[in-house]
Amino acid sequence: MVRQRGASWCARLLGVLLVVAVSGWLGVMPGTAQAPTTVVNYWLWLDDPTDPMFPALIKEFNDTHPGITVQPQVIPLAQFHDKLVTAISAGSGPDVSRFKDWWLGEFVQAGALEPLSSYIAHWNGRADVIQNLWNTGRISPTGLVYMMPHQFITFYMYYRKDWFQQAGVQPPRTFDEFVAAAKKFTDPSHNRYGFGLRGGDGGQDQWLAFMVAGGARMVDPLGHVVINSPKAVAVNQWYIDLYRTQKVAPPSAPSDAYAQVLGAFEGGITAMFAHHVGSSVLVTGKLGASAVGVVPIPVADPKAPATMATMAGNVMLRESGHKAAAWTFLSWLTERGAMDEWSRSRQGQLPVLTSLASSSFYQTNVFFTTSFDEAKYAITWPGLPGVGYVSAALWQQVMQQALLGQISSQQMLDRIATALESK
Amino acid sequence: MTDDARAGAARPSPSRARADRALAYLLLAPACVLLMGLIAYPLLRAVWLSVHDVRLLQLGTATYVGAAQYLASWADPVFWTSVRQTVIWTVGIVGAQLVFGMCGALLLNKPFRGRAFWRGVALIPWASSSVLVAMMWLWLLDSNYGVLNDVLRRLGLLHTAFAWLAEPATALPAVMLAAVWQGTPFFAVMLLAGLQAIPEDLYEAARIDGGGGWAAFRYVTLPLLRPTILITTMLRTMWIANYMDLTFVMTGGGPGVATLTVPLYAYFAAYKRLAIGAGAAVAMQLAVALAGAVLIYMRLLGSVEAVE
Repeated sequence: MVRQRGASWCARLLGVLLVVAVSGWLGVMPGTAQAPTTVVNYWLWLDDPTDPMFPALIKEFNDTHPGITVQPQVIPLAQFHDKLVTAISAGSGPDVSRFKDWWLGEFVQAGALEPLSSYIAHWNGRADVIQNLWNTGRISPTGLVYMMPHQFITFYMYYRKDWFQQAGVQPPRTFDEFVAAAKKFTDPSHNRYGFGLRGGDGGQDQWLAFMVAGGARMVDPLGHVVINSPKAVAVNQWYIDLYRTQKVAPPSAPSDAYAQVLGAFEGGITAMFAHHVGSSVLVTGKLGASAVGVVPIPVADPKAPATMATMAGNVMLRESGHKAAAWTFLSWLTERGAMDEWSRSRQGQLPVLTSLASSSFYQTNVFFTTSFDEAKYAITWPGLPGVGYVSAALWQQVMQQALLGQISSQQMLDRIATALESK
Repeated sequence: MTDDARAGAARPSPSRARADRALAYLLLAPACVLLMGLIAYPLLRAVWLSVHDVRLLQLGTATYVGAAQYLASWADPVFWTSVRQTVIWTVGIVGAQLVFGMCGALLLNKPFRGRAFWRGVALIPWASSSVLVAMMWLWLLDSNYGVLNDVLRRLGLLHTAFAWLAEPATALPAVMLAAVWQGTPFFAVMLLAGLQAIPEDLYEAARIDGGGGWAAFRYVTLPLLRPTILITTMLRTMWIANYMDLTFVMTGGGPGVATLTVPLYAYFAAYKRLAIGAGAAVAMQLAVALAGAVLIYMRLLGSVEAVE
């Protein structure tokens, strides 16, 4: 009796398995079910992960490209580099990844990225990309493009327009005017300071903006590291002195990260801080549009303006098994419709397309126009393998030591130069 | 039946004994495989990495360098700074957690109204995630908006904003304070469990012998809590020496290298410089130091058990 019941269960189980197997087989038969689809894994970070723009954008792509399904994975920027490096080392990286120009040198040196130049040569949208921005995806001016430009920023300076008007001070255009204005608004007894210097996490972009604005360069036209040249040492000393001798930055400057610098400006503690268009909605929302002004990063020589630009683009991993589908998605992100949606969203950075940059939405906003004006002369981090380490760890360590007087300007830049030169 | 006959009847045949042994090994095999996979392999892999020059994005191109990466770490003054700070970090935090945990356990062991509620509340810091704790203390210590500066200003002890995390002299103690706050409940709960296991008769006997509160603590509580104190202290020593979450979020090892500890030093080498071999060499040294601590712990525990 028991044996009969057991045999009956076995027969039923076999029947179910047979049905599942046959239905699975029918599912891959042409014309009997959905067509096979290529899955493209895409990793990215979002400044605001709750932004509904991105899921809507992925749905739009998947709906309009029946043969491809993009599966995104959102990872916080703070962990992004670690996770990507580990995954690629383990052979389990994505097909397409959002990418910072900081990391280009080390990933290209390791052979982890697929060159995109041959794809771009056959891409209809290439002429619309702002010409200068292709360089952000190369590691040398004439080399192959590894990163598709997508969203970029240039560093400019926010200032308290209401304070400046009240004090009858013009927004600074030069280093001298900047120091004079910063001193004017510094009063430690009332916890007020002229400038929100960012010596903590992420401050390397602000620092580089002032370095290049002062005439220093990371590399010369031949690609040699010159960040420890006498000129660079002098500009760096000027930057350190904003905290040490001019004392126009808050006492917390050596450890201040974005949240502290932004909070001090919004809270009426600092009169100026350097950042990009990504803060414009926050500061005008908090202080009101009439209280906030924006000027290009002050320069040492008005005839030679410069600031820092950084690009967040998209790359294709060399190990991807779906390169054609990956390229379709990667290039679609840089096409006009998708890019406009992204740039208008809460992620809010600059579009890389000429046609969008000249449209009225961007041309009627002073934060965008100032950024685009600066883009004509902005300088990016060089495509050296050591940039990843300098930007992620070393800069903060040596900058803080220099701000605290533990090392000199020359020693700080020598350590950065050594790291940049290392293979 | 004689005893010998009974013993002979109970003894299994040689083939049966072999089968039993084989079965025992078979049943142990899954655990052995798990241990090999989860402990032995990563450990051996770390040893291998530490003697090879390996880049994280180029694991296939490893070059044997022997002890070079160990020697390179010793030649770096920042490494020795991180070693010194790891000792201060570990001893300071574990010591403070033990003292405050003991006070908390003694308080929570007393009968009072709402004791069960307060025992639950006391666990909140321990149950909070490290990142949350770090963010909370970042704002508590903030020079402009922090509660600490505000209180000190109101008391007239501070006249301008003081940046606790930007000053090399105060940054490490400030992060340690956050770690002490977070970890004290663990000690309190462990010690409370130990306190509850001490028979009330012993305290009664101490009272009859004329002993006061201090004598009862000195001669009853402390000796009987000793195994709990030992095991908790040693476990926390190993965890705290490896613990870098708070430092990573609150200061990133800074200002400069003022809060850099050995695990953070190894992390920067492995994940920011991508020199995973060099990172493994530093991590191995920490592992050896902690293995020494484990040996001391086992000896101490052995001596306690021998006394008991």
